Amino acid sequence: MSIDCEDQELLEGFLAETTELLEKLDDDLISLEKNPEDADLMNRIFRSIHTVKGASSFLGFDLLVKVTHKTEDVLNRLRKGELTLCPEIMDVVLEAVDLVKTLVSDIKAGEIVDRDLEEVVAKLIPFLSESATEATVLAPVFASLKEESAPAAPATASDATAAPASTPAQETAAAAKQTAPATQPKAPKVKEPQKAAAKGEELADNSTVRVDVKRLDDLMNQVGELVLERNRMIQLHSDYQSGLDPAGFNDDFGKLSKRLNFVTSELQMQVLKMRMLPVEKVFKKFPRIVRNLARDLGKEVDLVIMGEETELDRSVVDEIGDPLIHLIRNALDHGLETPEQRLEAGKGRTGTVVLSAAHEGNQIVISIKDDGRGIDPERVSRKAIEKGLITEEQLVTMSTREVLDLLFLPGFSTKEQATDLSGRGVGMDVVRTNIRKLNGIIEIKNEVGKGSEFILKLPLTLAIIQSLLVEVEREVYSIPLASVIETMRVNKDEFHMIGGQEVLKLRDSVLPLLRLQRTFGCEETTADRSTCYVVIVGVAEKRVGLIVTRLLGQQEVAIKSLGKFLANLPGIGGSTIMGDGRVALIVDPMGLISGGEAAGARKSA
Amino acid sequence: METALKLKNEDYGGELIQLVSFNLEKEEYGINVLMVREIIRMLNITRVPNTPHYVEGVINLRGKVIPIISLRRKFDLMEAEYDKRTRIMVMEVVGELMGFIVDEVSEVIRISEKEIQPPPPVVSSGIEQECMSGVINQADRLLVLLDLERMFSADERRMFSNVA
Repeated sequence: MSIDCEDQELLEGFLAETTELLEKLDDDLISLEKNPEDADLMNRIFRSIHTVKGASSFLGFDLLVKVTHKTEDVLNRLRKGELTLCPEIMDVVLEAVDLVKTLVSDIKAGEIVDRDLEEVVAKLIPFLSESATEATVLAPVFASLKEESAPAAPATASDATAAPASTPAQETAAAAKQTAPATQPKAPKVKEPQKAAAKGEELADNSTVRVDVKRLDDLMNQVGELVLERNRMIQLHSDYQSGLDPAGFNDDFGKLSKRLNFVTSELQMQVLKMRMLPVEKVFKKFPRIVRNLARDLGKEVDLVIMGEETELDRSVVDEIGDPLIHLIRNALDHGLETPEQRLEAGKGRTGTVVLSAAHEGNQIVISIKDDGRGIDPERVSRKAIEKGLITEEQLVTMSTREVLDLLFLPGFSTKEQATDLSGRGVGMDVVRTNIRKLNGIIEIKNEVGKGSEFILKLPLTLAIIQSLLVEVEREVYSIPLASVIETMRVNKDEFHMIGGQEVLKLRDSVLPLLRLQRTFGCEETTADRSTCYVVIVGVAEKRVGLIVTRLLGQQEVAIKSLGKFLANLPGIGGSTIMGDGRVALIVDPMGLISGGEAAGARKSA
Repeated sequence: METALKLKNEDYGGELIQLVSFNLEKEEYGINVLMVREIIRMLNITRVPNTPHYVEGVINLRGKVIPIISLRRKFDLMEAEYDKRTRIMVMEVVGELMGFIVDEVSEVIRISEKEIQPPPPVVSSGIEQECMSGVINQADRLLVLLDLERMFSADERRMFSNVA
């Protein structure tokens, strides 16, 4: 059934408002669970649901009205103190909010699907009966309802009315009847992944931008300045042509280019800012996820979020959601211990997961830190051997950091059995792939028994990057500065060969080397010099040293695509136009490293 | 008499098309003028590693980076030095701007569609059969009509983007 709405504008307004309210609602509900006494928060939640209800009834979305109405009723009782908040109630309310979200996204998609509301509504109804003053009393009723309703439909109805001591009102019986047919056709488990998928889509839906009017005004100002500078330039040129004051031309031109430089970099900042979103947009959904996970795992977790106001490019925001979910899931599942284990280890019952974001130069640093048991390198290496991902010989040569890097191998898992939550060995691979896509770096800090920290370093934006210009046999290449870790001048005798691979001993580690001249097939023009430069780049958790002829300096460059004919070149990520109008290619460290891996594999095969 | 006149009219009838003619290794080629975006002089070309041998590199065309293809190499002709007559013809091929290096661009000619004859079955100059869409035989000249869209066969396009 398609949506028949007379006023498209009204509908859009409704969708925008509702989506915003619902996003906030999740957060508020979780906070409410922590501070049940907060009357302001309670009222705000109530108002949000009420607003959604009002708007949807005005527009005639009956399904939405039905769910929101019941939810509102439950919240109203909570507000009046007729019910006390407990996790069971919160579960049901959250489920109802999820359903509302699904319904709203249906409307957004322009197609109203006839969804089954009864299941959720039925769960809400018990909390509305007069006798259900104390949720704890009601919980067992609710549990029995849930368990029995599916297999024996008619029996449950009578059971539910007869069994519990709290003499449920007629509504409860009615609820049981409704639940039975509703639950039978589909098992609740099956529904879970669908829901998750729907949420993912919602986040990716970012085709329009809301921009602060002030930012637009600022932009207009900057453009005005730019026009002024252009006029100045035209004036200067005509002055020069008419032969006036050739001596002062140099001076004036210098000043002009300085001002132009200033104006354009301001302009660039303004435009970048418009593309920026607070990372809060991603972080917002985590309290909910953590709460649910913690309940499923039987762990007690405090999620601390810091720096959610940190802004980053929308393209980056879209990509980091998934990796963060995996990392948080890992922190909860593998990192944190159960309350009992924690007490034994002399820690507090409740584990802490800190999710933080901050700017650091031209990068954004996101860290997920837990105070759990940490990663045991021995267990990791044992598992990797068991799974046949590495051999004993390889293990011997590995440093602790390299062992931790094994976590990222596809198929790696420390779990014996795959569960709903983890164990298939996909999660960390997803993390690595996405971070690589963004030209980011992953670092792991680990202390056995005390906890672990995953640090993601990401570039602020993907359109304009800071880059290091290097020369490889008279050709200029640009390496994204975000992936450059350090550069050094090296004497050629310091290179070693290990198994056909050139390496460099760098402090306590061994760094594999890649000759860009060979990879890119540049003609060797210069005579063999004894020293050269090594640019050490990092992609995700890997490090490699690129051998170049000369370092030319740092420059901010705008990325230009090479077009679809030259897309997917190994090791080349795009191109940029230099000050002299020439094109310089941008090195894609990720492609180089994985290409190198493939070559290595071919060699060994 | 009447019939002869009619025949003649038919000969020169049909739709008129405009061709840009250019030279490559002393042979003359023609390309539909609607395909050509612009013709520019040689610029600094940045070599792109790991591409097919006929990809000369990329250039900056007023802020847009476009790939450049050497038609000589594409047709397996002898390499030649670039001189002051060498031109890059910028064309839109399957929705993408691309530049093609040719020895010299001479003129825009008008011909009627009727004048285009199917290509001869055997081609000695090494030009792949499929990108020749016809031959124009005029009194003092012979023009080979190229269809660049066909030049990049689906296979080649795939190779372009994957193996390269």
